Amino acid sequence: MTTTTENASTDSGAGGKEPAISVRNLWKIFGPTPNAIVGTPFADLSRPELLKETGCVAAVRDISFDVADGEVFVVMGLSGSGKSTLVRCLTRLIEPTTGQVLIEGEDILGASASRLRQLRRTKFSMVFQHFGLLPHRSIIDNIAYSLEVNGVKKDKRHARANEVIELVGLTGYANHYPEQLSGGMQQRVGLARALAVNPEVMFLDEPFSALDPLIRRDMQNEIVRLHHDLNTTMVFITHDLAEAMRIGDRIAIMRDGAMVQIGTPTELVLNPADDYVADFTNDIPKSHVLCVQDIARPLGDRSVSTTQAIESDVIVRSVMHRIMSDPDPINVVKNGQVIGVVGREELTTVFAEDINKELTA
Amino acid sequence: MKAWVDEHVPEFFRRKWVLIVGLLIAWFVLGRIFRGVHTLDLPNAEDTPTTAFLGDMAANIRAARAENPVFVYVFNPFRQGIESFIEVIRLTISEPASGAVIPLIGWFGVLALIGFIVFATSNWRTSLLSMVLILGCGILGMWTYSMDTLALTLGAVILSLAIALPIGIWAGLNDKVMTAVRPILDLAQITPTLVYLAPLALVFLIGVAAATIATMIYSIPIGIRITAHAIRSLHNGPIEAAESMGSTRWQKLTKVQLPMAKRTIILGVNQTTLAALSFVVIAALIGAPGLGEPIVRALSIRSIGDGVTAGLAVVLLAIMLDRATTAAVVKSNQIPLTGQPLLRRRIGLIVAGIATIVAILLSRQQLWAAVFPDALNFNEAIGGGADSFTEWFTSTFYFFTTTFNETFTVYILNPIEYLLADSPWYLTVIMISVIAAIIGGRGVALLSAVLLLLIVWIGLWNDTMITLTQVLMATVIVMVIGVALGVAAGRSEKVERVLKPFLDAGQTLPAFVYLVPVLALFGPTRFAAIVCGVFYAAPVVVRIVADGVRGVPKEMVEAAIASGSSTTQVVTKVQLPASKKSLLLGANQGLIFVLAVVIIGALVGAGGLGYLVLQGASKPELQGKGLAAGLAIVLLGIVMDRIAHSSAKRS
Ligand SMILES: Nc1ncnc2c1ncn2[C@@H]1O[C@H](COP(=O)(O)OP(=O)(O)O)[C@@H](O)[C@H]1O
Ligand SMILES: [Mg+2]
Repeated sequence: MTTTTENASTDSGAGGKEPAISVRNLWKIFGPTPNAIVGTPFADLSRPELLKETGCVAAVRDISFDVADGEVFVVMGLSGSGKSTLVRCLTRLIEPTTGQVLIEGEDILGASASRLRQLRRTKFSMVFQHFGLLPHRSIIDNIAYSLEVNGVKKDKRHARANEVIELVGLTGYANHYPEQLSGGMQQRVGLARALAVNPEVMFLDEPFSALDPLIRRDMQNEIVRLHHDLNTTMVFITHDLAEAMRIGDRIAIMRDGAMVQIGTPTELVLNPADDYVADFTNDIPKSHVLCVQDIARPLGDRSVSTTQAIESDVIVRSVMHRIMSDPDPINVVKNGQVIGVVGREELTTVFAEDINKELTA
Repeated sequence: MKAWVDEHVPEFFRRKWVLIVGLLIAWFVLGRIFRGVHTLDLPNAEDTPTTAFLGDMAANIRAARAENPVFVYVFNPFRQGIESFIEVIRLTISEPASGAVIPLIGWFGVLALIGFIVFATSNWRTSLLSMVLILGCGILGMWTYSMDTLALTLGAVILSLAIALPIGIWAGLNDKVMTAVRPILDLAQITPTLVYLAPLALVFLIGVAAATIATMIYSIPIGIRITAHAIRSLHNGPIEAAESMGSTRWQKLTKVQLPMAKRTIILGVNQTTLAALSFVVIAALIGAPGLGEPIVRALSIRSIGDGVTAGLAVVLLAIMLDRATTAAVVKSNQIPLTGQPLLRRRIGLIVAGIATIVAILLSRQQLWAAVFPDALNFNEAIGGGADSFTEWFTSTFYFFTTTFNETFTVYILNPIEYLLADSPWYLTVIMISVIAAIIGGRGVALLSAVLLLLIVWIGLWNDTMITLTQVLMATVIVMVIGVALGVAAGRSEKVERVLKPFLDAGQTLPAFVYLVPVLALFGPTRFAAIVCGVFYAAPVVVRIVADGVRGVPKEMVEAAIASGSSTTQVVTKVQLPASKKSLLLGANQGLIFVLAVVIIGALVGAGGLGYLVLQGASKPELQGKGLAAGLAIVLLGIVMDRIAHSSAKRS
């Protein structure tokens, strides 16, 4: 377990630039003696053992990671693995036990109460699984809430609220009340509310888990669109791998409070760190995540035999027909350079694995 | 010890109920043998050291009122402050200023004002109903009394809420505060109302101030409890969201928590108001003006007609206050109006406001609008009707009112009273403690023994046992009725719908109004007090049992039916055992409600501790015993509450 966290801390998605969020050795322990665990032999106990010995739960356990500017960082894990606690610790909705959190270089855990409020009013925002809308306020006043508590005048904050209402497609509902809207629409309000302050970082805790599958799909597309337009850094919690794959640039997998693996979707599918991760990724057909370059046969000493070519970072599934309909292998091209070929043979191997999995499942 | 018992005593004899029945038989036999020995019976005029001490203390307090600094600088100014506050309201609606003929506003103006206030806080239908009900008070010939009661109730409610809301909110937000106030709230809940009166009258004199303070002591805990609950039971989601958006604590409270809790808090206002009304009526015993006055008078001279008109007026006021505050809850729950409906409502409010002002002005200038007209006063007709109805009923249903009453008294009530009151006191203490041990465990047994010994030490053991007999009898009857109706209502929505208005009414009406009809039917007897207790407590118990039965998982019942159980079997083998907790909770609540009323039942001949309290309030030489009796009631209440509570907790 310790090796994976070390992996995690060295693995920076920032590519040299300063990360938007940087978390180091973060712990959150619930229970009677939260301060008497970290740095003692208790810290190495498993969750049930720790609970038995001390009555404490290590909800977040020695977590370190970086999130790059504009990245969508997804955190996954079974229920109870500590995702909600982790995301709340980042903005101190839950006070972490120890560790370090830097957002845009600023030390969050050291921030004063008033500075923290200022950050929450202007820089961060959060979307909740059960929406957390204020039932006694109209939609527009829900959305304008953080501007209101920040002292923005009424006409100004309503003007801004109307902008985001349009942005999330709720035009015409400004004076409705939350209970008059469907679940999906309520979460659009939740999104609008989070966007109202033009946040630099958004935290989303299973925002779509309470929605019907069809609506969930819509909302996921909405997030992808908003992220494309606004390029906000996001920490997105989910327990649905398909959602994680669709939205995330990188995915972190948690178990029992600890980080098990962090990587791109393809990395998780190709090299799961352990059975726990493999269990998650098993359900995903490889053809859905692998790129052409992942399955390409190296050119070796053979010469290029065809003029057909595919870009190397295209998902296999999307070019399935083209490869199958061509009797000869096709060139795989990266930066204008042919790096290998891919043909029916490679494709069949991938599909055979997928079909096999489905049959045994 | 336990291991030994487990090994050597057959399983049958280790069952709780077998043990208890065995004990009762033993108790009965021993009680027969030692009957009349060491009963601690205390003649009416005699004091014990404790009661004498309390009597001296009371005399000292009375003497100290004029010069003791605590009185001069704290109690007396406090009393005058409250008095003048209530006086302002009374001068407005009920009491003419000196030299004037009518209060500031005549009856017609008051009627319009009440209509307007209810309209503004809820809707026009409830407003109309409120005006009809208030008009009813006048028709009963009780206009001025009703206005006095209303004034005192409103004054006490305003003062109570001014204290209860902030403390309730604080206790809702802060666990430490909640822990600190909870024991006080619990004690307030089990202390029968009559107990507060004498000590308060001693400190604050008989009259409006003591009555208002007593009312506040009664209603503030209710307000605190519901307000704290309102804050505590909020969903965390919106609150956490508000926090995530950078609210200060104050912003979170005022913009999120209070608005969300508003509905439950208004429900708290409703409960506080009804509690205050019921207490203001009882406070007539220490000189509160209002409807309680004619009721107390009617009870003491057994004039049913006067009691009935006043009692009905209390009922009308209670319904009015209940409907008005409940409608406000409903309104607070609705989405605010916009556009056309909002405009219409605003216009309605303006028109109603103007009409109210006109009515108030009229009521200050026109005689017909100032003094409630005689032409509308049907007091004599209604009172006389009630008198002749009573006469007809008691002579026609002689069997029910007298024979039944006497049979019950001779064959059930007396034997139990002998057992409790005529056995040697130590036998009774031991038996109750052992039963407490079986039901609730060692801690409760110890507590019971200590508190019972305290009662023995106070010296009012015999009277306590007389009261206990009535409380137990009434509770058993309440439980039988409560379980029967509760199971029926829990099983069938139709029954529930039929019962609902009665349960609502039962929970709205002050205990005091039951005394009048019961006295009319059964005369001043212990039986009358028991019947009062049963009527007063039954609605609560029915409700709790019905909720319990309804809460039994559907699958459980379906499974029982699917495996071929008869209806009786479903009830006795599934629904009742599964709702055991509710049954015990119902018994606990039943006990407390019954105790409160059985004590007041002294007004209709219940005897026991309540009688001593009443006597202490009217005769200075018996005040020591009255105060001691109040103490004994509280101790008895704690013993019964703890035993019932522990059994509910253990299940
Ligand atoms: N306030 C709390 N007090 C004690 N334990 C908590 C508290 N909040 C969460 N936990 C525990 O911490 C663990 C992680 O919970 P959570 O972060 O909600 O997980 P997830 O969001 O992944 O389902 C769980 O075992 C939960 O029981
Ligand atoms: Mg969660």
